[in-house]
Amino acid sequence: MRDDVGQGKIILPVKIARNSVINIRALLSHPMLTGMSRDQAGIPIPAYFVNDVVITYGGEHVAHFEWSSGISRDPFVGFSLRADKEAPVTITWKDNKGGVYTQSADIKFAVA
Amino acid sequence: MRDPLSRRTFLKSSALAVAAIAASGSAAAAAEQFSAGPGNEPDDDVKKVLREKFGTRVIREGHITLDVPDVAPDSREVPLLIESDLPMTPDNYVKGIHIVVDHNPDIYLAGFDFTAAIGAATLDTRIKMRRSSAVRIIAETSKGELWTTSRFVYTSLNGCV
Repeated sequence: MRDDVGQGKIILPVKIARNSVINIRALLSHPMLTGMSRDQAGIPIPAYFVNDVVITYGGEHVAHFEWSSGISRDPFVGFSLRADKEAPVTITWKDNKGGVYTQSADIKFAVA
Repeated sequence: MRDPLSRRTFLKSSALAVAAIAASGSAAAAAEQFSAGPGNEPDDDVKKVLREKFGTRVIREGHITLDVPDVAPDSREVPLLIESDLPMTPDNYVKGIHIVVDHNPDIYLAGFDFTAAIGAATLDTRIKMRRSSAVRIIAETSKGELWTTSRFVYTSLNGCV
């Protein structure tokens, strides 16, 4: 099994203006197994995928994603956010085996 | 005139090849017409999923753009870019975006719930596809309106591994 499961990152724009809508990209290392494949001995590989993603901005709930195993391996998601305060964006990923992975990135406005 | 037969067979085979190319061209045109017409109509399984998710509410075409390759190079990672011109104000915003793939084992592939703090209903992700199928995006607004768009995506291999 891979040993980098749960590692990830949040990519923010380099310069963020106050009240602008920014694009946030997030990436997680995860095998996202559907449970439909078998290993070389013919034994089914059990499903193992991220099924719940929660995004908060400064402690406020912003978005919630509900996934099946149809999202690709090493899931990537890009979404928008209105940057109206300097606060951290936190993404919490949960998988169907109870794994919880959290990443955080601080939104800071560019000095005008 | 040492070998007249080979020249004749050559001409015959080249004529056949030209005919085959012409036939494949018309087959491709027919396939495209199919995907634009009845191929994009949801089948019974998809209709059942839509009914479970959205009840009997009307799903209308429009306000959503889906950017996806017509032919997916790798069906394990089909990139989707979803954009919408629907308003994102605190009293009228896009509450959710739903991805439905007709011929996947999980027809309802993913749901993305938003709040008005998002600012714009855009979404960028990568999905798996079992075989060539319609990809449907359904956006739900906070007022309960449903907007959809769909694209037919050709794939070669089973990407649901």
